Amino acid sequence: MSPWAATVGHELRSAGRERLPQLLLMIFIGMSAASAFIGSAAKATVTEVYNSAAGQGLTNAANPFGNVPPLYYARNTVIYILLIGALLAIVIGVQSAMRDRRARTIDLVLTRCLSPAGYLGAKMTGIGLGLLAVLGASALISVLCISAVTGSIPAPDQLLRLLALFGVAWLFLLFFVALGTLSGLHASSYTTALLVPIVIWSVIIFVLPLLGTAAHPVSLLNPVTPPAAPQTGIFALTRSLTGPLSLGEQFKHVAAILLKDPQATGTMTGGITVILVFLAAGISAVVLTGRTSMRKELHD
Amino acid sequence: MTDMAIETSALAKTYGSKQALEALSLEVPRGEIFGLLGHNGAGKTTTVNILTTLLPASSGTARIAGHDVTTGADRVRRSIGYLPENVHFYDNLTLTENLTFFARLSGVPDPAARIAAALEAVDFTGHGQEKMSTFSKGMRQRAGIAQAILHEPAVLFLDEPTSGLDPQGVAKLREIIISLNQSLGMTVFMNTHLLAEVTKTCTSIGILSSGRLIYQNSVAATLGAFPDQASLEDIYLHIEAGTPS
Repeated sequence: MSPWAATVGHELRSAGRERLPQLLLMIFIGMSAASAFIGSAAKATVTEVYNSAAGQGLTNAANPFGNVPPLYYARNTVIYILLIGALLAIVIGVQSAMRDRRARTIDLVLTRCLSPAGYLGAKMTGIGLGLLAVLGASALISVLCISAVTGSIPAPDQLLRLLALFGVAWLFLLFFVALGTLSGLHASSYTTALLVPIVIWSVIIFVLPLLGTAAHPVSLLNPVTPPAAPQTGIFALTRSLTGPLSLGEQFKHVAAILLKDPQATGTMTGGITVILVFLAAGISAVVLTGRTSMRKELHD
Repeated sequence: MTDMAIETSALAKTYGSKQALEALSLEVPRGEIFGLLGHNGAGKTTTVNILTTLLPASSGTARIAGHDVTTGADRVRRSIGYLPENVHFYDNLTLTENLTFFARLSGVPDPAARIAAALEAVDFTGHGQEKMSTFSKGMRQRAGIAQAILHEPAVLFLDEPTSGLDPQGVAKLREIIISLNQSLGMTVFMNTHLLAEVTKTCTSIGILSSGRLIYQNSVAATLGAFPDQASLEDIYLHIEAGTPS
């Protein structure tokens, strides 16, 4: 086994024995499973209200939830990826970098035949594979839950779209893994290492979209529909500046198109490009961390 | 192939305005147990960090087993084993899991066989399945030496190997170091300020003072050259006292 493969295996084994990522993982998979049932409960409630209103002759319009496609039930998953998934990714990244620093094993590693870039790249690969397994399990659970709610297995086109959603989610979450790893490599304490990427996450997910849309903060928790975007005035200007950096909104836009949200317009190209640029920048920053930075002592 | 396990020429290291190491020129022949002595802050750990490729030198050259530490760093890493002053492991893994990881990082083809041999060499067989978090300081040092010799390096660097050990631990470690040198032919380079240990373990010494090498000779020749001094400790203090700071 090559040193690179050994590091990948070591990363998976070590991460598998840590409690905090395990807890977040269970919450994430649990929420993914609950997503379809939450969607189903929402549909049942709205239909009940509609039936009551229609029975009293208050409306003759068609039930807006009368014929929702199976992909509708995966919409809540998008927000769990954005919130719980991203936090899980940050924690995994921080823990991965901190593992060596807390154990003070980095000198033993750096006197072996693997460059810092190779070692950190292998660690990122290990986490990436672990995350892929988690998202694969989440995708499977989503399909099973949607099948249970709708009473039939989604059509092949819908299955592909769901898989694509989890594929994009993997790229999106890997950026947060890189962010957490980077913070874990450079922060002087464990608390700072966790706090810094969480602040950056909140800026990317909440502050930047608000600067560009004047949206109510709660509207950003709307699973897939992008917040209203003024076409003129100061917010049009700030949107042009902050829009590409609003990684969360870009992900939600891609997800909305994949899940065939009726309000979603445009293509996925821009959103996927932004996610890939963020990911490339994050991974580059991690693997370019030098020997001296890796040996920096932790002051916990 | 050169007869020198370690060669440095005008090796220097500065941290900002502080000169940690000044024009260190040193030669350690193969098969020696070399003790680098010096007070705290003399530059011993900086020297080891440069020789083990952990730290770049500011100037000068260093070769380990014939390989340059800058241009041939990978070959140097294949030739050395390293035990830091306070060796640490991944505490949530067992000793065998830790050693397997480090063996694979060193490219050892059959980790299980090498781990068994390394544990036997440090008289530590039977502890492989124990979690590292349960190990005492002395047990960690022995595990540390086992990880350092997994890939059968030509040169073994030990940074204050007996620091913090009880007398029994010190004696056991001495026995292991001498055995590695004699039975496996490893050159050993150790930093220490425990002079009594140096007399019992090392074949040659160097004295570092404020970043400069002020003395280098075999232990036997050193003891013979200062007949009026009762011990190596007295000789060390005598040499140090004669050095302008």
